[in-house]
Amino acid sequence: MKRRYYYILGVVLLIGFAGFALASFRQTLTPYVSFDAARHEGRTVQVAGALVNNSTSYDLDSKSLRFTLKDPKTGEELPIRYHGLRPANFDDAISIVAIGTYDAKRQELAAAKLLVKCPSKYQGQEVKTYS
Amino acid sequence: MHYLSSLYLPGAVTLWCALIFALAALWGYVQALRGDDSAREFARRAYGFFAAAIVLTAWVMFILLLRRDFRIQYVYSYSGLDLPWFYQLTAFWAGQKGSFLIWLFWGALLGLPLRRAARKAEAPVMGVYLLTLLGLLFILVRENPFMMLAQTPPDGKGLNPLLQNNWMVIHPPIMFIGYAASAIPFSFAISALWRRDTTDWSRRAFPWALLGFLVLGTAILMGGYWAYTTLGWGGYWGWDPVENSSLIPFIFATALIHGLYMERTRGRFRRVNFVFAGLWYMSVLYGTFLTRSGVLADFSVHSFVDLGISGWLIGLMAFFGLTTLFLLITRLRTIPTSRNEDPLLSRGSFLMLASIAFIVSGVVITFGTSAPLLTAFLKNPGQVGPDFYNRVNLPIAVLIAFLLSLVPYLKWKGTPLKRLLRAISIPAVLAVAAAGVAVHLGVTNPLHVAFVLLAALALGTNFQRTAGLIRRGALRQAGGYLAHIGVGMMFIGFLASSAYDHSTKVTLVQGQPQQVGDLNLTFVRFVPHTTPRGRDSMLIKVVRPNGSTYNAYPEMFLNQRTQQLMVHPHVRTLPLQDLYISPIEFDPGTAANAPRQVELRQGESTTLNGYTIHFVRFDLHASGNALAEMQSGKPVTVGAVVQIQKGDGEVQELHPVYRFFPNGDAEAPPVQLSGGELVRIGAINTSASAIHLDVVGMASPQKAKPAELAVDVSHKPLIQLVWFGLYVVLAGGLLAISHRLGLALEPEQEPT
Repeated sequence: MKRRYYYILGVVLLIGFAGFALASFRQTLTPYVSFDAARHEGRTVQVAGALVNNSTSYDLDSKSLRFTLKDPKTGEELPIRYHGLRPANFDDAISIVAIGTYDAKRQELAAAKLLVKCPSKYQGQEVKTYS
Repeated sequence: MHYLSSLYLPGAVTLWCALIFALAALWGYVQALRGDDSAREFARRAYGFFAAAIVLTAWVMFILLLRRDFRIQYVYSYSGLDLPWFYQLTAFWAGQKGSFLIWLFWGALLGLPLRRAARKAEAPVMGVYLLTLLGLLFILVRENPFMMLAQTPPDGKGLNPLLQNNWMVIHPPIMFIGYAASAIPFSFAISALWRRDTTDWSRRAFPWALLGFLVLGTAILMGGYWAYTTLGWGGYWGWDPVENSSLIPFIFATALIHGLYMERTRGRFRRVNFVFAGLWYMSVLYGTFLTRSGVLADFSVHSFVDLGISGWLIGLMAFFGLTTLFLLITRLRTIPTSRNEDPLLSRGSFLMLASIAFIVSGVVITFGTSAPLLTAFLKNPGQVGPDFYNRVNLPIAVLIAFLLSLVPYLKWKGTPLKRLLRAISIPAVLAVAAAGVAVHLGVTNPLHVAFVLLAALALGTNFQRTAGLIRRGALRQAGGYLAHIGVGMMFIGFLASSAYDHSTKVTLVQGQPQQVGDLNLTFVRFVPHTTPRGRDSMLIKVVRPNGSTYNAYPEMFLNQRTQQLMVHPHVRTLPLQDLYISPIEFDPGTAANAPRQVELRQGESTTLNGYTIHFVRFDLHASGNALAEMQSGKPVTVGAVVQIQKGDGEVQELHPVYRFFPNGDAEAPPVQLSGGELVRIGAINTSASAIHLDVVGMASPQKAKPAELAVDVSHKPLIQLVWFGLYVVLAGGLLAISHRLGLALEPEQEPT
């Protein structure tokens, strides 16, 4: 009989853990959203877009990279601010993914991480961005 | 014929021969299974030819790379004249096709000893194994790596600068040995199920499973070490899909080797080991699918681009997955298994709990890595970050540390609690002391304290047990315990180096000492490279709290070919921690009243003391036609269109020019803004289509501005335990392989 209780306890623990894992999953999920949704979402999201020509500027004093992404489908634009190192192949990017939260005061997305997607120049793309 | 003429035939033909020989070997083994003994000899010979053809194919690719034969599209895409020969070698596995080829290369070679080691199960095991290899071979034949370009370009596109690193010469090929080895336990399992001959496979497959486990583990940590020492983001593990897709097979491999141990010594797990072997191989295929099909293109920092092989990979997964599932459903219930009658405090129960922990961890990581696919059905596809994986795996790791710490003194039939406690008393005292030290050093999270306590206990009890076995002259049986000592070390290293690293971002002004935590840093100077392939670095003098001094040389340089800014951290290893200094940004500063330099690419703009400077475009017709003059050898004039706006004032358009003379001289007369500020072109970078503008008078009065270097300074406590622990695990694993190989090569016997 005692063995049976162990099994029941084990199953309960497993179900509990599954619940915990699912809750963690939902909390840490950073959804891909449209630019418009990113402006209204309070939490960390990710957006993807093409770099708008001539929008890149590097502020020497505050050491931040500013650029604008354009949604290829809707044509909407979103300014991005990123502190830290300009990713190695930033200028060749065909698409840039920015992960961060929207700063409503400055009306730009404060990116904590950038993923840079390049044309098939390097298939085995391994670029860790500084976050 | 057009297709044929676009292929480099020596390579393509050997590849096709390999396919024919592989099919012949498969046919031979099928005949052998039907009872034709002469077919076995035929199949062996065909397999030998197949392996030779694959080796030859790889050799051809190798020679093409070393000869820098840019006619070949693959060589052109991944290598270049600027690379030394060993990086030409790295180009072999820099792309998809080459990495499939190296995978197949190891697979073919591993099959040679497998033929003999499988003994009486040779025909079915080799049959299944050949099927797994054929899956790869079909992909390669379709995506032929020997495609030629219509014309021979003078130089290749070059190798991704991040891969130009010694670790990248050896890390990927080792990883592919692990992938290739993953198919072997799977082949044993499937053939055993198929043939309903399920008693002996665990003995034969055991050393192979250990081999796959060890190689995967080593390769994973090697990749981590590469990331740590070259990428400069401060860690060795980022839970990226590419990393996870090699970690998941490793975790299932861990489950399998523990399950096989259970089966060989206790006769339990006869059924579930088939599931473990299946999960291991399927996770290899699934990981390959996730990273090679482009489904995660927007989610990973290093997913491969879609090569159009998603369909193949899905087909392979479906074929092997459904076959495995069918066999498990139809055959599993017929396998005799002994009832679990072990008490809770026994080795068997602990192994069972550990197996559950491994599987849960593997499933949860798979779940997290698949988040973009899973959530794609909802409105917004998303991904989970490192937080998710750390959070869910910590309790599992604590449980595993607990199991590890007691298992050396647990007997199969159970050990009374009192005896157990007596056996572990000395390590327990030491572990409590270690946990005390950890709390004293600022570890407050109760789960972390428990983890340190249990990992230290695991280290101690396994050490005590290993030492005892060595004293008794039974070193051969100590492999598992020895490996567990290493796991205890690595657990402590993982926790300390990831949860307790202190990182500070700071801007250092040249020549001015600055206190950063307990270190005193002075940015001494920028050190330009001296050799053509050399790298620029930053010299930083670091004074440690005990007064000792060292020079850190973090590197920061432009890759000449790609114009990418590369950054390599400087790592100083001390007994209890690493000091890790990674450069973020460098500002060379200006001399007093010297022109400020601004570098702008075409189309870019920047702000400088309230001035907005916009480089509109080059003007090749500023004075005559620059291109025509260049060809005729006359002085060439290149103009630039620059727009400057002071504050909100009027935009002024300037047309500075830069004149090259055939003798190498150049001149660039300054042009004036309405306010008297001067602008001239300092230099032109044609390959990046950028100009350097020297501007004077935009900041008044100009003071000297010293060079500044922004760096990230971090302490990585106990990180050496991660790497050192791996060596210990490797030593234990090799010991276990030699022990299990001896048993596997013994003639037929009943399990003990």
